[in-house]
Amino acid sequence: MSQSLRPYLHVRSSLTAALTISNFASQASERHNTPQVEARDSPELLLNPLHISRNENEKVFIEPSRNSVRVSIRIKQADEIEHILVHKFTRFLTQRAESFFILRRKPVEGFDISFLITNFHTEKMLTHKLIDFVIEFMEEVDKEISEMKLFLNARARFVAESFLTPFD
Amino acid sequence: MSQLNYRTINIDALDPESSTNFPMESLLPANLPQAASASDAASAATQVRQMLRGGDPEGALQTVLDTAPLGGDDRAKEVHLATVIDVLQGIRQGEMTRILEGVCSGDGGAERADCLMKYLYKGMSSSASGSGAQSPKKSVSPQATGFSQIQARNLGEGGGGQQMSVLLSWHEKLVEIAGTGSIVRVMTDRRTV
Repeated sequence: MSQSLRPYLHVRSSLTAALTISNFASQASERHNTPQVEARDSPELLLNPLHISRNENEKVFIEPSRNSVRVSIRIKQADEIEHILVHKFTRFLTQRAESFFILRRKPVEGFDISFLITNFHTEKMLTHKLIDFVIEFMEEVDKEISEMKLFLNARARFVAESFLTPFD
Repeated sequence: MSQLNYRTINIDALDPESSTNFPMESLLPANLPQAASASDAASAATQVRQMLRGGDPEGALQTVLDTAPLGGDDRAKEVHLATVIDVLQGIRQGEMTRILEGVCSGDGGAERADCLMKYLYKGMSSSASGSGAQSPKKSVSPQATGFSQIQARNLGEGGGGQQMSVLLSWHEKLVEIAGTGSIVRVMTDRRTV
């Protein structure tokens, strides 16, 4: 395993531990069933949140509860271009949140993108595949952003060159 | 009373029987150690640092985990966290596995492993937020363009990367030894460190 991929291992083991969730109906109202990490009905249903951070700008925040887990990711942004690219990219994804099932429409404050995994997701889908998805997302998004940045710079150079040829 | 919008009142908070008012103290075990103060934690810290300087990192780690202020106040916990991180940073990479195996075996070894796991997660959360608040906000643009939809945040390689990588490598080794169950116990244990 290469050095750069090792932090994802920690996320994998932490997520495996956090995703031990099962159905839990509301204690207050009949026939209601809400993800407790969002509803926060009772303090006993919320477990201790976990942080996994590589440094200040790259971290994962896992909030486990009785029947749901919220995973928030802060994506690395080295400069302003990456900042804008990450913003656009996560906006694109969150606007299509229904097709991603576990994606949360709005990231938790201080993070770029959040996933909300409930017991219904783990019942319908394979838990280890869900974890694989989150890990793969984290691996891919860094690659994607730096690729987009390279592409953007190349395109900017090409545009500038062709714009300035008449004045040559 | 007529001005008060009764629809915004959270009636669950007023109901003593409601699950919102669940007594969290009832989740703590009765045999919790005596509440430690910040000065107790500081004296434990000097003792542990002496052991670390004296060339006994295994003993230092064992002592620091055994004296964790599970029932202490926030100040004592903070002081103790700094001690634990100092000990973890004072141990060389090559010695980690040997020391961990020593600390996590024997009498009360499983509790020490869980305690260390709690400190690893706490270390990653506290220094991440702590240094973020302290570091001065540097402006991203050279001039204010005034068209940004996105809120300002400090960019670049964040600080504390060194400490994080130490904690992460400890985490990796500890998961190998103590397993996923240790992480589950960190999440569910209300005796926070």
